[in-house]
Amino acid sequence: MSGQGQVSFRNIVKMHGEFAALKGVNFDIKPGEFFALLGPSGSGKSTTLRILAGLDAPTAGRVLIDDKDVTSTDARDRDIAMVFQSYALYPHMTVAENIAFPLEMAKLPKAEITPAVKDAARKVKIDHLLDRKPGQLSGGQQQRCALARAIVRKARLFLLDEPLSNLDAKLRLETRAELKKLQRSLGVTAVYVTHDQEEAMTLADRMAVFMSGEIQQVGTPGEVFARPNSIDIAGFIGNPPMNLVPARYVDGDVIIAGHRLKTTATIPGERDVVVGLRPGALRMAEGGLGARVDLIEDLGDTAVLDLDCAGTMIRMRVADGNIPGEGDTISITARPQDIHLFDPATRMRL
Amino acid sequence: MTAKRLRIIALLAISTVFLLAWAFPIVWSVLNSLKTDSDVLAYPPKLVFTPTWEAYRDVLFGSGSILPNLLSSVIISVGTTVVTMLMAVPAAYALARLRFRGKKFAGFYVLATQMLPPVGIIIPYFLVLRNIGWIDTYQGIILIYLSFSLPFAIWLLVSYFEDIPFEMEEAAYLDGASRLKTLWRIIIPQVRGGIAVTIVFVFLNAWNEFLFAVVLSGNTVRPVTVAMFNFVSVEQTLWAKLAAVSVLAMLPVVVLGVVAQKHIVKGLTVGAVKGGGRR
Repeated sequence: MSGQGQVSFRNIVKMHGEFAALKGVNFDIKPGEFFALLGPSGSGKSTTLRILAGLDAPTAGRVLIDDKDVTSTDARDRDIAMVFQSYALYPHMTVAENIAFPLEMAKLPKAEITPAVKDAARKVKIDHLLDRKPGQLSGGQQQRCALARAIVRKARLFLLDEPLSNLDAKLRLETRAELKKLQRSLGVTAVYVTHDQEEAMTLADRMAVFMSGEIQQVGTPGEVFARPNSIDIAGFIGNPPMNLVPARYVDGDVIIAGHRLKTTATIPGERDVVVGLRPGALRMAEGGLGARVDLIEDLGDTAVLDLDCAGTMIRMRVADGNIPGEGDTISITARPQDIHLFDPATRMRL
Repeated sequence: MTAKRLRIIALLAISTVFLLAWAFPIVWSVLNSLKTDSDVLAYPPKLVFTPTWEAYRDVLFGSGSILPNLLSSVIISVGTTVVTMLMAVPAAYALARLRFRGKKFAGFYVLATQMLPPVGIIIPYFLVLRNIGWIDTYQGIILIYLSFSLPFAIWLLVSYFEDIPFEMEEAAYLDGASRLKTLWRIIIPQVRGGIAVTIVFVFLNAWNEFLFAVVLSGNTVRPVTVAMFNFVSVEQTLWAKLAAVSVLAMLPVVVLGVVAQKHIVKGLTVGAVKGGGRR
C-alpha cells in the first residue's frame, strides 16, 4: 500500500478564467522529505497542494508520483492522506469512526481496523477520546484527530494545509515540534502548506517559496535564508525581514545614504541596486553609516531598533545589554558577505 | 418597568386572540364529534352534554366507513413522500454541489413552479391523466402530487446541502470514498435534520391536499379529505360524523407536528443565519 512518496511537478499551469493561479510550476520532492510550500496568501501554494491531492485539475502540465503520471488520476486512487485547515472531521461520527473511515473505504477487515485506529490515536495522544464526537473536542484535540485519520492509512504522501493556523500560539509551537517528530518516526513524505515563514523554516527539510503563481526559490531553509533569490523572498523570510534599501553600486562597493560599504561583488561598473541587509547581520562600529535610533522594541533577550539613516528606515537586531537609548546616534556597518544585492528592475538577486 | 409590563400584556392579549382564532375550529370539531346529531343542532349550543363515541363508531365501522379512505390517504401520502425523497435528495445534492450547464435555470425553474396558482393547472393535469388513463389511480394522483412536492422538497433540501463545507467531501474523497459513498456516509447523515423536515412537509402536504384529489380521484382512489364530503349533501349535513372524520384526519398531522416540531422550526429558519440550520 505504502510507496516511496516521490513527487514531481512538471510545468503545472492553473488558470481561473483569465487569471493564472499557477504560471508553470516545477519542483521535485524526495521520498521521506518534509517539504514546505511557503508563500503569502494568493501566491498559489494551496492550489499546488490541491492539484497534488487531485482535488483540482491543472490546466496544463503533469504531476508525477513515484514516476507515474497521476495528472488525471482520481483523488481517491492516489494513495494520499491530507489534513485540512478546517480539519474536516465528520461531525456525526465518533473519533474512532473518523479515524477508521479511510480503512473502511479501503475494505480492510474489522479485525485489522480496530488495532490500527487505536495505534494511530495513541501516536497523537488521543486514545482516551475515541468515543467522543468531534464537537466535544477542543481545537487541539480536533487537530490531532485529523492527524490520526491521515496517518492511520500509511499513505505514501501526507499533505498538510496550514494545519496549525487554527491553534493558539502556545499550542501551535508544541504541535509544530510533535508534527516534525511524528513525520520522522513514520518516515513518510510530507508536503506542508503555510504562509508562516517561521513554521516553514523550523519544520521543512526543503521548501519552495511561492510568489504570485510562481516558485521563486527551492532550497533548504538555511539556503533560502542565507541567499534569498529575489527581493520578494528577502522581504518575506526572517523576522523582522531583511532591510531592503535602494543604493548605488560602484565597482564592488555600495553607497547608502552617502556612506560606502564593501561587498563581495566583483563586477565593475556603476548601477542602481537594492541592498538587502538582515537586521541581525548589522553591527555597531566606528566609522560606519550614521543612524539615529527612532524606536526600540525590547524582546527580552534581544531588541529590534528602528533606525533612521538620513531618511532611510533600517531595522537592526541587537543583543541584550548592548542597547543604545532612543534618540541616540549610532554608527552601523555590515560585513561584505552579509550584503545582498538585487536588481531593482527584475527584482532578482544579482 | 411599566412600559415593559404593558408590552408583555399587549403581547399576551394578541397571542390569545390568535390562539383562540386558531384553536376554535379544532375545539369545535372535537366537541361536535363527541355529540349526538341532535345535540349538534341544539340552539343555543350545548356546552354541557353527554359525550358519545357514536359518531366515531359510525364513520369507522358503519356502512359508509372511511377506513378505506384513510388507507387511500396513507398510500398516496407515503407513496408521494417516498418517491419525492428518492428523487429530491440526489437532485438537491447536484444543485448544491455540481457545476453543470443550465444549473441556474434549473434552480429558477424549481422555484418558479412554486409560484403557479394550482387552479390554473388543474384542468391540463386532468386532461393529461385522462389521456393516459390514470384518472382515479394511485399512480396518477402520486404523479400529480410529485409535480409540486418534488420542486418544493428540492428547494428546501438545497439549503441544507449548501451548509456542508466542501472540505468535508474532499476529505472523504482523499480517504478513498466514491461520490456516492460520500453522499451516503458523510453528507446525508449531516443533513438528516433537513431530510426529516422535508419528509414531514411533503407528507403533510399530500395528506392535506384536497383540490387536486377531488378532481383527479374517483371511486377507487378517494383520500379522506375528499371522502369527508360524503357527509355533506343537499338535504342535510351530518355534522357529528363530519367532525369525527376531521378529527381522525387531523390526528396524524398533529402527531407529526408535535414529534417534528423542533426540526420544523429549524427548517423554517434555515439559511437565515449562516450555518444556523445545521445539527
